[in-house]
Amino acid sequence: MPTHTTTVDDHDIVRRVIAGDINAFGFLVQKYQGHILSVVGNHIPYSQAEEVAHDVFVKAYQSLLTFKFKGGFKQWLSAIAVRTCYDFWRKEYRSREIPMSSCSEEDRVCLDRVMASQSNQITSEKNLQKEARELLGRALDRLSPEDRMALEMVYLEGLSGKEAAGLLGWSVANVKIRLFRSRKKLRKILAGFLED
Amino acid sequence: MRFNKKDYIKLENTLIKAYREKEKPKVSEQWEMSVMQRIRSLGAFPFKTSPFELFEQFGWRFAPAACVVIALLTFWIVKLDFAPEDEMAKFSIEQPIEASYIEMPGL
Repeated sequence: MPTHTTTVDDHDIVRRVIAGDINAFGFLVQKYQGHILSVVGNHIPYSQAEEVAHDVFVKAYQSLLTFKFKGGFKQWLSAIAVRTCYDFWRKEYRSREIPMSSCSEEDRVCLDRVMASQSNQITSEKNLQKEARELLGRALDRLSPEDRMALEMVYLEGLSGKEAAGLLGWSVANVKIRLFRSRKKLRKILAGFLED
Repeated sequence: MRFNKKDYIKLENTLIKAYREKEKPKVSEQWEMSVMQRIRSLGAFPFKTSPFELFEQFGWRFAPAACVVIALLTFWIVKLDFAPEDEMAKFSIEQPIEASYIEMPGL
């Protein structure tokens, strides 16, 4: 396996790979695996992140001929990672079994626990975060893949609309509309968890 | 039951914080090796791509042009006032009784 060399220019490595030096791609895998795992880890469940990150590098290799040497490789790779995560949720959405409208007793209990933990000083921060993540996961599972991605990237991660649009390959207006709708839906879903 | 604004903002902030402090996945050296193994199995550039894959990648790019061509042809046919029934009737009247339909397109 090649060693990590930060001084080697990404563009040169890409040129080498395109010229037939497959092993040179190992530099890029090594250099950007942390970043890609971080991007993928934001969107995909922990247990599946490794597999999705694997797919990101395979897709990047297959699409290397479409890389335009004007921009940065990291940005280009990030866009592939985000779109792979989006594809993952599109597949999940098609095969899911949870009806959009229904909310289970477990959802209600989960929300109650978070609400109670927020006001309870005794509950540890770690426990509160664990419960909050579970609640958020349950709510996000009820959103469409488009709404989910817009909400996660702008509202939860804190990216700008322009940055999210660039990574997703959407227009800025589309991201803004999705974000507005998904925030409203999230509130409605969480309120639904409260109802008896 | 509905949230009051204060409670909801508090809940939102808790959710955002929990999301941002999510544990990042870690991979082993074996993972890196399996990625490279897969890459090597794909082979070096240029890949041999099937015509179907090529169409999937590039065919859609011609969709707008194809739509324009279809629209122009439709407009042209409408403008021509072309009616196949009339043409057939005209042909039957003009041609002797032995003439067959095969002769019509010039075969």
